Amino acid sequence: MSKIFVAEDDVSIRSELAELLKNSGYEVDAPAEFDNVPGKILTSGADLVLLDINLPGANGQMILSELRKKTDTPVIMVTSRSGETDEMLSMTMGADDFITKPYNPMILLLRIQAVLKRTQGGRNETGSYRGLPVNTAKGSIGEGENEQILTKNEMIIFSRLLANKGNIVTRDELMTVLWDNEEYINDNALTVNISRLRSKLAALGLEDALETRKKQGYILL
Amino acid sequence: MSLLRFFRDKLPLILVFFIGWVVMLCFFAGFHDSLEQAVIISVLYFASVICALLLEYFLKAGFYKNARASLERLDKKYLLPEMLDTPSFAEGEICRELLCEAGKSMTEQVSDYKRQSDDFREFIELWVHEVKLPVASLSLMSHNDGEAGAKYSAQLKRLDGLIENVLYYSRSENAQKDYLITEIPLGAAFKGAALSARESLLEKNVTLKTQGLDIKVTTDAKWLEYIFTQLITNSLKYFSPEREPVIEVSAYEDDRAVRLSFKDNGIGIPDTDLPYVFEKTFTGENGRIGAKSTGMGLYIVKSLCKKLGTDITARSFPGEWTEFVITFGKNDLFRL
Repeated sequence: MSKIFVAEDDVSIRSELAELLKNSGYEVDAPAEFDNVPGKILTSGADLVLLDINLPGANGQMILSELRKKTDTPVIMVTSRSGETDEMLSMTMGADDFITKPYNPMILLLRIQAVLKRTQGGRNETGSYRGLPVNTAKGSIGEGENEQILTKNEMIIFSRLLANKGNIVTRDELMTVLWDNEEYINDNALTVNISRLRSKLAALGLEDALETRKKQGYILL
Repeated sequence: MSLLRFFRDKLPLILVFFIGWVVMLCFFAGFHDSLEQAVIISVLYFASVICALLLEYFLKAGFYKNARASLERLDKKYLLPEMLDTPSFAEGEICRELLCEAGKSMTEQVSDYKRQSDDFREFIELWVHEVKLPVASLSLMSHNDGEAGAKYSAQLKRLDGLIENVLYYSRSENAQKDYLITEIPLGAAFKGAALSARESLLEKNVTLKTQGLDIKVTTDAKWLEYIFTQLITNSLKYFSPEREPVIEVSAYEDDRAVRLSFKDNGIGIPDTDLPYVFEKTFTGENGRIGAKSTGMGLYIVKSLCKKLGTDITARSFPGEWTEFVITFGKNDLFRL
């Protein structure tokens, strides 16, 4: 389980953010005091830091530059100022991503996942599902005779389900991921993609793999 | 100042000289002087009068001509007093002093207003960032509430959109420092706008087609995203109930420019309204029949485009489609 350090001075945002992250399966460290933030981050042993740019008594960019002297822990900067200069400055100081408030919670989670994936163990182009190799770069499941080629959309959906194997993934979440990949499909198209994916899995002998949970979403078993 | 006008101005003076001459002639007649003497004195008299007048004319005409020429050369006309030569005659000196005095007072007045408007703008920017905190907090709360919170999310998105309008209106009116020109793919800016409008687009079952958005342009990413958001919001208001809603966003590139077309199959814009769609508070026929319209969205879009040095135009076939075309000029100087 990854641990996320939240440096956010707005009490309400801090507690809601902590709840959101906990619900998504992260461990959260969200202090209410902002003295020596870099030290706190180091001692918490967090895997990722959500750092607000405007903390009382400390500037987020200063904290970032101090932190960068000691560790490479990924940092996502958060701000309500939508100025490009803030973003540029943060990125050159070594932030891994930059998000402006009010953020779409789903997109925030996607960004966190993306940063964690990028920093932990590099890009995982290949994986496996029930013993079958999954090649996201090539867009295929299985190999040799027993291989199915997935379309880009199907692969995005399958990867998402695979990353949350055994857990329900909502349609809303799938939509967000697809749109985030510039695949602007509508509800009908999602349904079609899911059923195509299901038949391709069935062709691999995995008839029971993808289940629909009424009113909730989909689950890959 | 023409010679004629100058002499017209000097008419009273000339009249006095003339009366003086008549009186002089009477004296000549009274003292029985010879005609030759009278003619010679008269000629000398008139010659000196005309000489004096012409001298004055050339002196003044030179000064005013220079002043007018400076005025025409000046980009900021109010700087004229600074440009005037020191005139060699009293009238001109007075004129210059008065101009300087009036100009100074006007400058003070204007800088007062400028300070006020800067203060106000600064406050608005600050306020926008403050008000985004509770919005951020609420949107997290509604997300954490799951299903029950979904209906609040939609309203919060709306609220956020309205807040952005204030921010970008304030920026479009006076921004000088708030943008950063970088090279970005069009798709990145469009993605941000599409994601934030996703719920509304899906709710209306809009088919979104994109093409060529991997083309890169040099512009401000945030501003472009806002422009896309406005265009999407605009399209969402005016879809036709008769057909499935479609938005097509495509980009083309030639050696001089990148053209981005944003086209929907909505109710279109009447020909009589089309020339005015970018004008402030213009709502037109569509604004009256359809959804609420403030007439600010496209005005802000146009001002932002102008600031970014890009061009936006609107075309429409009433009842069939509306197309906005944004042209990004290519300038290799940017790409350093």
